[in-house]
Amino acid sequence: MHWSIENRMVAGFGLVLAFVLVIGVVSYFNTKKLIANSHADARSHGALQMLEGILSTAENADLGQRRYLITGEESYLSPYRTAVSRLPEQLRYLRETTADSAAQQSRLDSLEKLITKSLDSSKAEIALRTNEGFEGVRHLIFASRVKNEIDEIRLLIEEMENEENKTLTRRAEESQASTHDTILLLALATLLQSVLLGSVYYLIRHDITQRKRVATELRHRGEQLEAANKELEAFSYSVSHDLRAPLRHIDGYVGLLEKAAVTTLDEKARRYLATISESAKQMGQLIDDLLVFSRMGRAEMRDTPVYLDQLVKEVQHELRHDTQGRNIAWRIGPLPTVHGDPAMLRLVLINLISNAVKFTRTRPLATIEIGSASGRPGEKVVFVRDNGVGFDMQYVEKLFGVFQRLHRAEEFDGTGIGLANVRRIIHRHGGRTWAEGTVDGGATFYFSLPTGMEPA
Amino acid sequence: MTTPRPILLAEDNPRDVELILAAMAEHNLANEIVVCRDGVEALDYLYRRRGFSARRQGNPAVILLDLKMPKVDGLEVLRTIKADTGLKPIPVVMLTSSREERDLVQSYALGANAYVVKPVDFHSYFNAIKALGIFWGDVNEPPPGLARTTANGCSTG
Repeated sequence: MHWSIENRMVAGFGLVLAFVLVIGVVSYFNTKKLIANSHADARSHGALQMLEGILSTAENADLGQRRYLITGEESYLSPYRTAVSRLPEQLRYLRETTADSAAQQSRLDSLEKLITKSLDSSKAEIALRTNEGFEGVRHLIFASRVKNEIDEIRLLIEEMENEENKTLTRRAEESQASTHDTILLLALATLLQSVLLGSVYYLIRHDITQRKRVATELRHRGEQLEAANKELEAFSYSVSHDLRAPLRHIDGYVGLLEKAAVTTLDEKARRYLATISESAKQMGQLIDDLLVFSRMGRAEMRDTPVYLDQLVKEVQHELRHDTQGRNIAWRIGPLPTVHGDPAMLRLVLINLISNAVKFTRTRPLATIEIGSASGRPGEKVVFVRDNGVGFDMQYVEKLFGVFQRLHRAEEFDGTGIGLANVRRIIHRHGGRTWAEGTVDGGATFYFSLPTGMEPA
Repeated sequence: MTTPRPILLAEDNPRDVELILAAMAEHNLANEIVVCRDGVEALDYLYRRRGFSARRQGNPAVILLDLKMPKVDGLEVLRTIKADTGLKPIPVVMLTSSREERDLVQSYALGANAYVVKPVDFHSYFNAIKALGIFWGDVNEPPPGLARTTANGCSTG
């Protein structure tokens, strides 16, 4: 599959973005878990502290109560009273902090029962001591009941503490593993992103290098073209200068010869000289026409509004010597205003209209129609129609070629470059040229110009 | 009677020289025609250097100057003439094959007094040369200069 540079860049950057998103999501969940663990840890530490607190409260209460039983000294009951008032609250707090562990909750049930039992029995013993004095409790003092309950409580609390510690350790391991995973993922993603960004960078650099190379090549070709153009210009300059000189000499010496030998030359010889002279002049005309044609292809084009109505009137005036003494019916319709080079478009109209005048020469009444027609969207079409000798549609494509003629030289004069000039000028304006005709049925020549002119 | 000043023709092509001289001869111009075959020779004549040191003082009535010449071309000669206060008043007619616009523009920019394209057609050519000879040699009053002289030096026709 061949992807364009743009698609590959989008794919590369898309993958990098996807990685960034994945890392973001995973990091978010891991961090959330770490935070949750740290909250749970805080609760565990709270529970551990509370377990210690409960144990010491219970132990202090037990110790005080036993001292009271022995001495009857009221002040020893203070830890017991503290225990009675504080233990339920401490137990409730412990229940809250261990709410997420069913095992701890059930142990807490047992602990609560044990503590209640211990406090209840203490209460009964204190009452006995208060009512019956030392003798009433003597048997108790030397028994080991209370100590057993406290031992049980201590054992249970130890068990709960172990459990919390185990949970803490498990969570710490979990957090560490999760952090490790996150770091691993980050490292992997960074590596992949680096590779992706590297290849995207390579792609872009490659593309830029290629573009630079193309630009250099284009500039180089432009320079070559300019050089070729300069050469061509030098060539036409040389043609204009040097090709005309020998022709001038041929005609000049024919002229001198005619003058020198005017009495000795017979009719035939004079006709030969006339032919030489005529040929030289014709070649001179060809050279001039060719130079115009070459200049049309190179000259810089102006881009101004051209009023074709006005231009046709000027061309008619310019051709007045050719139309003098002729019977021509002109039908000139409204013509559009176009954009282009006025001098060049003038040449187009001169060529087309003088052709129409020329090729209707055999008609007693020539009709020349100039008008506009509908063309493709975005172009204006102008035509020049005549009722002249016309042409065979078979040769329509030859009409616009350089030095292409469809009539014998003795029938109609001309070098055959006019329509080639028309086509070249119209093409340079971004338009088209075409023609319709029938032998002896007249001809119509069309040209189109874009409404928004784009110089070629 | 004073001798009219010579016409200086700078033209490298011998055929053109012959045709031009033939055309001039038809009018029986009183002016002597001095022919130089390249730009260097034309400048030598004007500055009375080398082979022309012996010629009498005085500027020609007009210079007919071909554009394309060996060694120093017409435009270069024109530039030198128009940059020299002594030579600047001499009328210079560019006589050339070129119809190129840039030659026209450059010639007038350098101070040419006229620009004539040599026609291919013999009669037009003859008539143009005759007209030039008549106008610049006869009709036109040349700028006041040194005494009218007869030149010797360059080939004369």
